[in-house]
Amino acid sequence: MFERRLYFHVDWAMLGAILALCLIGVVQIYSATGGSSLYVTQMYGIAIGLVALVVCLTIDYRSLADKSHFIYLGVIALLVFVLFFGVVRGGSRRWIDLGSFNLQPSEFAKAAIALALAKYFGESRRGAVVPSDLVIAGAITFVPFLVIYQQPDLGTAATLLPIVFIVAFAAGMPMRIFGILALVGLMAAPIAWKFALKDYQKERVSTFLDPEADARGAGYQQLQARITTGSGGPWGKGFQKGTQGQLRFLPVAHNDFIFSAFAEEHGFAGVFVALGLYLFVILRAIESAQLAKDRLGAYLVLGVLASFTFQVLYNIMMSAGLAPVKGLTLPLMSYGGSSMIATLAGFGLILNVRMRRFTN
Amino acid sequence: MSQGDNRRRIGERLMVLQVTVIVAFAALGISFWVLQIVQHAKYQEMAENNHQRTLALRAPRGILFDRHGKVLVENRHSFTISILREHSKDLDQTARLLAKVAGLDLKEVQEIIERHRGEPSYRPIVVVEDATLAQVAAITARRLDFELPDVRVEEVPARKYPEQLAAHLFGYVGQVSDAQVASNPDLKSGDIAGQSGIEKIYNADLKGADGARVVVVNSMGREISVLQEDRPTEGKRMQLTIDYDVQRATEQAFNAVSEAGLTNAGAAVVLDPRTGEVLAFTSRPTYDPNAFAAGIDRSTWASLNSDEQRPLNNRATQGRYSPGSTFKMAVGLAGLEEDVIDPNFHVHCGGGANFYGRFFKCWKKGGHGSVDLKTAIAQSCDVYFYTVANMLGVDRINKWATLLGLGVKSGIDLPNEVTGLVPSTKWKQEVRREKWYAGETISVGIGQGAVSVTPVSMAVYMATIANGGTRVTPHLVKAMDDGKGEGWKAVPGPPPQSKFDITPEKLQAIRDGMWMVVNGSGTGGRARVAGKDIAGKTGTAQVISNQGRAAARGKRDLRDNGWFAFFAPRDNPQIAGIVFLEHGMHGPNAASVAHHILDTFFAKQDGRPLPPAPKPEELRFDFSDSAGDSGPRDYPDPPAIPADDAGPVEPQREIALLERPVAPGRAATMPAR
Repeated sequence: MFERRLYFHVDWAMLGAILALCLIGVVQIYSATGGSSLYVTQMYGIAIGLVALVVCLTIDYRSLADKSHFIYLGVIALLVFVLFFGVVRGGSRRWIDLGSFNLQPSEFAKAAIALALAKYFGESRRGAVVPSDLVIAGAITFVPFLVIYQQPDLGTAATLLPIVFIVAFAAGMPMRIFGILALVGLMAAPIAWKFALKDYQKERVSTFLDPEADARGAGYQQLQARITTGSGGPWGKGFQKGTQGQLRFLPVAHNDFIFSAFAEEHGFAGVFVALGLYLFVILRAIESAQLAKDRLGAYLVLGVLASFTFQVLYNIMMSAGLAPVKGLTLPLMSYGGSSMIATLAGFGLILNVRMRRFTN
Repeated sequence: MSQGDNRRRIGERLMVLQVTVIVAFAALGISFWVLQIVQHAKYQEMAENNHQRTLALRAPRGILFDRHGKVLVENRHSFTISILREHSKDLDQTARLLAKVAGLDLKEVQEIIERHRGEPSYRPIVVVEDATLAQVAAITARRLDFELPDVRVEEVPARKYPEQLAAHLFGYVGQVSDAQVASNPDLKSGDIAGQSGIEKIYNADLKGADGARVVVVNSMGREISVLQEDRPTEGKRMQLTIDYDVQRATEQAFNAVSEAGLTNAGAAVVLDPRTGEVLAFTSRPTYDPNAFAAGIDRSTWASLNSDEQRPLNNRATQGRYSPGSTFKMAVGLAGLEEDVIDPNFHVHCGGGANFYGRFFKCWKKGGHGSVDLKTAIAQSCDVYFYTVANMLGVDRINKWATLLGLGVKSGIDLPNEVTGLVPSTKWKQEVRREKWYAGETISVGIGQGAVSVTPVSMAVYMATIANGGTRVTPHLVKAMDDGKGEGWKAVPGPPPQSKFDITPEKLQAIRDGMWMVVNGSGTGGRARVAGKDIAGKTGTAQVISNQGRAAARGKRDLRDNGWFAFFAPRDNPQIAGIVFLEHGMHGPNAASVAHHILDTFFAKQDGRPLPPAPKPEELRFDFSDSAGDSGPRDYPDPPAIPADDAGPVEPQREIALLERPVAPGRAATMPAR
């Protein structure tokens, strides 16, 4: 299965950048949690994630794509299981209790959908994407979306949408369909506002538009995020010297707001480096899609990359107080085992595609 | 579509994605650049406001000592509970929870918050001053549960008045009012400042300088560390001129007056006639300044203000009363100094005399016979002073009474002193726009009519007679210690208000008369202290005419006011003062009070054990109704409404003088001179 020569085609540069981001994350978790053992847990997560990465790297992605329906159904089953038997935390049911840690299946749904969509579009013999393709692709995405939304976890559910859009886009979906979808979405927004969004979600959105109007309530986190980032200045306050994160003015500084805390302690210089690393990883992944031997590989890379990129961009915008606060973690840096494992496994798939660009 | 087209299209679309991602990251980079470089200062400041908090450390006020170093007013620890709005997530919720936990009325808490709503939110709103330990414990427990993060419990020094002593002299402290904040830039809302008495006048010296502590707090409002601390500077310590023992004796005697049921209103001021230093000072009824020290509650404040006796009024400096017979020395001295009479000038008293067609009675129905000045003072003969007053005219009486300190401010270092009144033709012309009638002068001769005085001015009057003409300024501070390690620095006394030299023989005649009041067959025998040559004069001033009395019966307290003015020893006076009993019925009752003060003063001077607090019965108060219509008495009706040539006088001003000698068995002879 794993031929020796493939070793030379592994994208070591991207892997290095990924590990660098993981390391920044660990250091920042250590700083934000005042030396509690969370950073150790995170390192376990990285270790397991690297194992998952190697596994996903080793098995030819085409074999994986052949089994994608099993993987997809397995993940759906897990998600449904969570819906009934999951661990409840903070009012939502997202986790499966595995004794020593909790598994969050929704994180793995992303890779499963990416695989399933890549296979669907990759094996399509038709040259162009027709509306029926979109309906099927939409259904593939919509089922796990609905289940995750029920947990409820709108944030994670939302990260599934970029997958189908980007893959469909790359697969050649006509632009006018995007236009129609955009129009429908625009028209549906007021209806969604009225019926689909919960009060706290509406509040977050309206607060985002004017955070200082409610600086003590829902706008608090957003304003604090901005203060945290802004007060970091060009060079930052130094390791463990950030007042906003250390004194808990900024909530979940090791998790959702890890980038704010990082920006506070390491300033614009640190932000520049971290943004550079993320950009490098993403561009490198897009390059992998360009180099992919087949459409399946390209779509798989883009599918995995889509939710990753969406999450990175959204989280960093949120960290700067530029987007409504949503419980979305920053892949590779935020604390969280499932996310780390799923993300690294996803990069295993991307490396897989790139590595096998010369094989048959 | 061919495979190649397909590939090319993917390539194009991937390029679009690449560009999109690069643009997005560039936008992010610019956003961070704006936040972290361009707007850095703004967010830096906001971050500091978040985690740094400057807490005012209230300075302890300066301690007050008596002239011998005894502590009179000090400080104690107290707790205040305040709300820090900048940490409030939901102010209404905080108010509700705080009211519940601390057992407060929610309405009141909301009102307090409302009152301070316009202030900057970093300034704490004090909700409870001097919280109980139970309140502190309840709130601290909630704080541990991360509730009430915006509520602070602070330990602050509060004023402590250890004994019920000279409340009006010390005054009280309280939170500054909005008006005070507006008029004084040094004050800010929530500050504690003196609101009356010494606390008010010397507030700038006593208040010290508040310190500040800059602390780092976390998002729960809990203090993590101290960044910087400026200790508060204690206010200046003050050594007052008050003699604790004399002050206490004064209070004891007044307590006995109250316990006896005679009256609980009055005032006393005791001075060192050589310097004007105030040795003792009281006003009754009194109040507990401790109730103000840590924020007075509404009901106490309301009851103090609605009390008909106005316990917050300082009767010694703000009460105006008819001086009655105590005024006679001023008339006598004016007669002597204007060479209208000499000490041997005799008047025949037949129980009254006619002036301007109207009969003015002496208090003694049978009359005193032929009396000279000394006897006239000793016996308080009204006819003698009617006669002298008539010879002088009102303006010359006004001149000398003013030089002696009556009808003018004493200049004491206490707030809101009022001015008494000694009438003159000019005064009547200016104020009433009327001519002065010669007949009005007659009543002035015995300290009635328009004459009114404050107790403190009476004390100055006595001091001026005692020291031979120097109208000393009463003052309260002997020395201050600003805590810089240089110890006590003497505070020079204020200069005298005026000075003239009374001709010694003339002064001696007045003094001898006053000596006879106490040591002869006079009206002030109860003030006698063996071997101390006390000189004094009683006064009993009716508060309403007999006609008015009949009309107003039962509506208010109409009993006469009692005065005793004194100095001692006669030939080398070291103490001078006044005792005033509002509705104390008789001057001799006031002499009983003065006796305890004088006895204590001389006992302390001689190193004798101080006399114990007098029991009410020991003071032998006279409760007989002096001007009632119940049975025959040696009291005259007060003068009737004057005849036409005497000019109109307001009935309220018509205050009769009534005198009666006491302790006739204790007659003593004048010492040979």
